[in-house]
Amino acid sequence: MSLIASGLLLIAIFVYVFYPERNVEAQRGKTRLEYLFERRDVLYDNLRDLNFEHSAGKYPEEDFVAQRAALENETAEVLAEIDLLESRWTGTTNSQAVRPSR
Amino acid sequence: MRRFNQWLLLPMLVALTILTAGFADSGRRYDDLGHEMMCACGCGQVLIECNHMGCPDSGPMLAELRTAIQRGDSDNTILTAFQNKYGPTILAAPMLTKFNIVAWVIPPALLLIGIGATLMLVRKWKLRTVPMPNVPQEPAFRTLRDRIRRETEL
Amino acid sequence: MPAFGSFALLLGLVLSGYSLLAGAIALRQLSTGSRGRVSPERLAETARRAGIGSFIAASCAAFALVWAAFTNDFSVSYILHHSNRALPGPYKFAALWSGQEGSLLLWAWLLSAYGFVLRLRHKVDVTLTAYASAILAGIQVFFFLLLNFAATPFSLVSGAVPQDGFGLNPLLQYPEMVIHPPMLYLGYVGFSVPFAFALGALMMRYPGEKWIHITRRWTMVTWLFLTCGIFLGAHWAYAVLGWGGYWGWDPVENASLMPWLTGTAFLHSVMMQEKRGMMKSWNVWLIFSTFMLSILGTLLTRSGLVSSVHAFAQSSIGSWFWAFLVIVLAVCTFTYILHRDHLKTENKLESLVSRESSFLFNNLVLLVACFTVLWGTFFPVLSEYVQGNKVTVSAPFYNRVAVPIGLFLLFLTGIGPLLAWRSTSFRSIRRNLVLPSIAALVTAVVVMFCGVHPWEIFTTNDQGSFYSWVAFSLAAFVVTAVASEFLRGAHVIQRHTGQNLFASMVQLTRRNTRRYGGYIVHFGVVVIFIGLAGHAFNQTQEQELGFKQSFHLGPYRIECLDYSQDSNSNYDTEFALLDVYRGGKKITRLSPELRFYTASQQTSTIVANHSTPAWDLYVIYAGKNPDTGQPIIKAFLNPLVMWIWIGVVIVAVGTGIALVPNMSAALASARNRPQDASAKENEMAAAGRGGD
Repeated sequence: MSLIASGLLLIAIFVYVFYPERNVEAQRGKTRLEYLFERRDVLYDNLRDLNFEHSAGKYPEEDFVAQRAALENETAEVLAEIDLLESRWTGTTNSQAVRPSR
Repeated sequence: MRRFNQWLLLPMLVALTILTAGFADSGRRYDDLGHEMMCACGCGQVLIECNHMGCPDSGPMLAELRTAIQRGDSDNTILTAFQNKYGPTILAAPMLTKFNIVAWVIPPALLLIGIGATLMLVRKWKLRTVPMPNVPQEPAFRTLRDRIRRETEL
Repeated sequence: MPAFGSFALLLGLVLSGYSLLAGAIALRQLSTGSRGRVSPERLAETARRAGIGSFIAASCAAFALVWAAFTNDFSVSYILHHSNRALPGPYKFAALWSGQEGSLLLWAWLLSAYGFVLRLRHKVDVTLTAYASAILAGIQVFFFLLLNFAATPFSLVSGAVPQDGFGLNPLLQYPEMVIHPPMLYLGYVGFSVPFAFALGALMMRYPGEKWIHITRRWTMVTWLFLTCGIFLGAHWAYAVLGWGGYWGWDPVENASLMPWLTGTAFLHSVMMQEKRGMMKSWNVWLIFSTFMLSILGTLLTRSGLVSSVHAFAQSSIGSWFWAFLVIVLAVCTFTYILHRDHLKTENKLESLVSRESSFLFNNLVLLVACFTVLWGTFFPVLSEYVQGNKVTVSAPFYNRVAVPIGLFLLFLTGIGPLLAWRSTSFRSIRRNLVLPSIAALVTAVVVMFCGVHPWEIFTTNDQGSFYSWVAFSLAAFVVTAVASEFLRGAHVIQRHTGQNLFASMVQLTRRNTRRYGGYIVHFGVVVIFIGLAGHAFNQTQEQELGFKQSFHLGPYRIECLDYSQDSNSNYDTEFALLDVYRGGKKITRLSPELRFYTASQQTSTIVANHSTPAWDLYVIYAGKNPDTGQPIIKAFLNPLVMWIWIGVVIVAVGTGIALVPNMSAALASARNRPQDASAKENEMAAAGRGGD
């Protein structure tokens, strides 16, 4: 009984492991554009958070203005690079870009 | 004057502690000292909390403790006597002697050093913080900024 | 069936070994661009599938052991020593983790189960998951090696097979014991996943902080399991061991607390990395340490290095764990040195008065608390090495050293939410602090009038009252701070949506579940502290009771109605029937027991507890006076204990909320403003979102 169960287990697992599907997931590194989208999302969240905390009365006006300016500068740099890369990319290929959703 | 009063308060409190220490009632002392020692039977429980059936040691040890308190021995004398009789592992925490002081000193010292180090680190980081750059005035930036505000404002 | 179990374990070892090797080769080929006969993608896929296969193998082995317990197969040495025919079904199931070999099998199975989920969800980031999967396979190899060569659960008894087993330790024959160890192990083992992701992300120099986002839920779930495991253990100790307490600072208890403390620090500081790209090296080492402390905890439980009430029997298995720990440390250190430039911080701290600095101090205090526990646990070993004699480091040490640290942490729990990210001006902090400070002061005065006398630290050298007074005051401080944070946020929502305050609070929480779920967790922690503060006012009384005799404890009168004995196939029992009166009115009947388990020849107390929010009347049957034959009853009046368990439930609810995804902007807008929804409202919905 144990022998049969062991044999069946071995065969089932062997088949599962060594006969994978033809189309395996591609292994690829993260692109610069993907990284920038992630950065943009984080910075947007930070800005929303800043706005919300300001509305909740946690930041005095002068602190808020300074913090917002710093974050906006950083975000603007990221957005500018995204726009640049996207325009280059769409210029070189007609296929649709995989643009991560927010 | 205010600072002088604060300095005066400290020795007064210490004196008060020493003077009143002897007035703690014997029941409380029994309970406290019972929590300061372990049961000798090897059950790994604090003496006064040892509850396993048929323990050969906790009963006689607690009786010894009661006698010592009634005799008027000080806490230190009682703990030392138990330590001499049952060995150093009988104390539930190391006494403030020789190397054992290290056990007590290291954690608070580490906390203080940590607080000091964190404060220094924060100060260092603050000094390194680059001053905020001027906001660029080009129209391209203004367009981006407006877009950011539109997408993130309340 | 034992042969099948042994085969499954061997297969598990081969599969996890293959998953590690094939995974490592494939990732190496991918990073260098070289190619072998098989494409690296296909090789990586076989490695992933072998990892999944190792879960099936581990499941088969666990099933074989449980099957052996249920079929009373006493030819298996482990079943012989941890089960018997009369053992009730659920405890036969619990036999899987009641001994050394079985609990290691449980560990290996849980690790494989975590790996199974991780490998199934590989599409979230194929390459990063491949790294994490290979690292996890490495950990699996260690546990399968142990199970195959050092602690084999399927070894057979030599000679004739006994008719019945030696039974399960009676202390483990308690419903919570069926849940507590798996919970704790789910916590211990679960930290392997964020550890694997962190190490993998460092190895592949993963750009950005998305790996934190991927592991966030894993870490929170793991933390929740560990929290529940620790408190279930505390509740088990309270309900079963019969010494009137729930935490004895035993090395094994300490072993579970250490990874919890570093894990908690990680959960906080990782927000700084996610939000501001700070503390990268610190976070990586925090999760490395948390994983290593989990292994150290297992080592402590099993090596016999430190003496503990509930450790497993001393065995040679400790050297395996030491070796593994050294290998893990070496791999982590080497990887860190090689890639530390990748962990350069993107932002610096801008102000001492900011959320970031509060996290920094929170981390410091949590780590000092962890060090204190580690120091106290290992000091006896150190003392033996230095002085030549062992000393005991038990409750009095921790109560004096760890309690102030815990209170400091409680204080920070209140301060943190009041601070804004980056920088908070003193004007703003002053304004935010007013209400919590008033609440703390008022509470301090009120509790003094209620009988908590902090000055007793000077008059009777009693630190308990002082610490309780501080705990109650700080509890009021933190609760007010958390409540005002909710209110402030809800007012903003209210201003924009016109909803009532309660609906605004619900919406606020749903829009940023992580932050507001976190605040609920903080509230739960406060409730736990309130429960712990009650310990300073415990009362106890022990008395022999005959028929109709009674004694008083606090507001209660305990009267003996009857005492007798009974027996069944599993145990013999002596018990007393006690009527409890308050103000002349009978409120409950308690029946403390003393059981003698026939198979294991061991006694166990069954505690009778009448629990109310104010206090627990906790009664044990301490034995029988041999001269009179009358029972000796020991009763404890333990104030506020119920709040500890309530607090844990609140913590679990808070963590559950934090695990729920934020309500999407579109959904928020559709639900709340069907007619006059404006673009502004749409953005508003997203406002509460984001990191903490």
